[in-house]
Amino acid sequence: MIGVLSYLIFFLILALTFGIAVMGLNLQWGFTGLFNAGVAGFLAVGGYTFAILTGPERDAVFGGFELPYIVGLLGAMVAAGIVAVIVGLVTLRLRDEYLAVATFGIAVSIQLVAVNWEYVTGGTLGLISIPNPSKGLADGPLRQNAVYLGIVLIVVALAYIGLQRIVQSPWGRVLKAIREDEVAAASLGKNPTRVRLEAFALGCALMGLSGGLYVGFIGFVGATDFLPIITFQIWTMLIVGGSGNMKGAVLGALIVWGVWTGSGFAISKIVAPEWQAQSGALQAVLIGLILVLTLLMRPKGMIGEDVNVSRHATDT
Amino acid sequence: MTGLFKGCAIALAATIGIAGAASAQDCPVKLGAILPVSGPMGQVGERISNTGAFAVKLFNEAGGVKGCPVEYVLRDTQGQSAIGVDAAKSLVDLEGVAALIGAVSSGVSLPVLTSVAVPSKVVQVSCCSSSESFTALAEEGKTEGYWFRTYATNRSQSAMGAKLTVDSGFKKTAIIYVNTDFGVGLAKRYEEDIAKLGGTITSSIAYNESQQSYRAEVTKAMEGEPDSLFLVAFPVDGSTITREWLALGGTDNLIVNNSLRSEDYIKAVGAQYLTNLIGYDSAQPRVGSVDTFNELFEAEFDGPPDGPGLHSVFDAVNVVLLAMESSDEITGDNIREGIRAVTADGGTEVYPGVEGIARAKELIAAGEAIRYVGATGALQFDANGDVQAPKMTWKLDGETNVETGYLSTEEVAELIKMLDAN
Repeated sequence: MIGVLSYLIFFLILALTFGIAVMGLNLQWGFTGLFNAGVAGFLAVGGYTFAILTGPERDAVFGGFELPYIVGLLGAMVAAGIVAVIVGLVTLRLRDEYLAVATFGIAVSIQLVAVNWEYVTGGTLGLISIPNPSKGLADGPLRQNAVYLGIVLIVVALAYIGLQRIVQSPWGRVLKAIREDEVAAASLGKNPTRVRLEAFALGCALMGLSGGLYVGFIGFVGATDFLPIITFQIWTMLIVGGSGNMKGAVLGALIVWGVWTGSGFAISKIVAPEWQAQSGALQAVLIGLILVLTLLMRPKGMIGEDVNVSRHATDT
Repeated sequence: MTGLFKGCAIALAATIGIAGAASAQDCPVKLGAILPVSGPMGQVGERISNTGAFAVKLFNEAGGVKGCPVEYVLRDTQGQSAIGVDAAKSLVDLEGVAALIGAVSSGVSLPVLTSVAVPSKVVQVSCCSSSESFTALAEEGKTEGYWFRTYATNRSQSAMGAKLTVDSGFKKTAIIYVNTDFGVGLAKRYEEDIAKLGGTITSSIAYNESQQSYRAEVTKAMEGEPDSLFLVAFPVDGSTITREWLALGGTDNLIVNNSLRSEDYIKAVGAQYLTNLIGYDSAQPRVGSVDTFNELFEAEFDGPPDGPGLHSVFDAVNVVLLAMESSDEITGDNIREGIRAVTADGGTEVYPGVEGIARAKELIAAGEAIRYVGATGALQFDANGDVQAPKMTWKLDGETNVETGYLSTEEVAELIKMLDAN
């Protein structure tokens, strides 16, 4: 049973880490209607920033500041947020699929920068020996991972509570107003361009945080860690869980990552090794199937959108 | 937060449900494999996996490990690091494997090593990961000896390239290299090695794969009037670069890395332009065990073992299983020691195949030292878990490539030692 517990902790660390990125995407898509197809890029910015800030000093590579873990995480958020503001200023005038194409392109560019900018990212060799704070706090992999899960749970809780407050605030209602009808929102004296940019930057900062948590756990960051398929995974998590609801975002992360890894486990149990190449494709089909079924049967995801009305609205 | 707790509960229930069916037993002995059998590396990964499974099958025919049949448990990484890490953890925790074979790409092997294998004290043997980051990590002591690879590292490649360049009397060399961990590592080391042997580098230019033209890179590499070009590339892009290099008036004194010893490359450029081309490649060791493997493979798969990683994964599986056989108890720590014991100098040499493995088991049972000599010849793991392979040098004679020299594993090791000492 120790093995099961140990694996479960490991599973939750990864799933919840992704869950934070899903919450960020939820703020952008679920609340504001911004189609960000560049999630992988912002995860990468966060991941690399974390590695540079907390990692050990290296010859010929920038960084190695050996800063505390928490500074690394905050730095990851800030860096992803800054990149998001720059990207947002350029692209947020675009709507829907145009924004999707632009952000996808940016994610690919970020990955190429990661491969080529050796001085900062270590290029194709990546950055090794990133410290994991749990190593100093506990003995043995099980306890260490349990400690790390604790850290992830705290971060998830903080992100969740913070986001709930934000989306229930007047500013949060403006997001939804923009999502539903930008012209109407503008006619009420709101500044959609500015609010869209703020929501985009905040969402991307959460993706950066997720990237930092991931790298801090794995202890390594490389250019192949943030392939475009991650964007697809995060999106699937959001759609299955239910966009427009932060609980749905976290639940979606658990379900989709669970299906992804669980199906891999099931295939290796049921299918002989020589047939696994064929059944590996089945896994992708399964994820696609869940996505389509969710869209058909529960278009709002597992948990639908929360109704969100100003507490002053009932007074009048 | 209720969603979160609900989610945890569901995941918990699901995991326990699945794991309940797979309770740990002493028999069979499980060997975990994490390989990309689907995704972009799928075709390469599938052949590697089948060869690994074949090695297990032969071992079982020879009686298995400690009287138990070996079960080859494969998990697909899809070429993604997060999936690979999860797969490895599930093999270790839910299947109880004490050793992992894989992964293929360094970008997957490294996260698996740092987040699963080392903390869980499980041995990881890769057939194919070439990144220098592993050596660096091992030198820092962070692999704790749990990391091995049966794929010869870039180290010997740069040494061979540099030796070839300087032996041919070239003084000013330009480098054009593919921008991957393989190319970057190789070019960097080559630059260091050339300096030690007395040559100079005029420029070192990276190129990104699959472009239509490399005019910009080639033009840049021509600055400083090099008398030779060291090209680290793969056939398709390599031929584009070579054509543009020659068309723009570059020297035809070319030194090429192992992947360009290919008909595709030579045909695409035109053999008549490559009369001054020289190259090196990993040579198959001149020992009988290699033929033994080739024959076994052809009998099983109806074709020669052509393709990356096949020889090396076969040996990876065999050294791990022999290490298990020689341990009192199958644990990661014992396998770690065992791998060195069954490949150490001085033991009785044993070859792959049912008879060879059966003989190895007899010798181990009798308490005698063995030395496994396999599909890649005699494996000599250094302190970092790296191996070297024999090398050959070649040139073109008309359209066929002919061997011009051969360096045994020992000679290659000596060359590297000499370069590192300076």
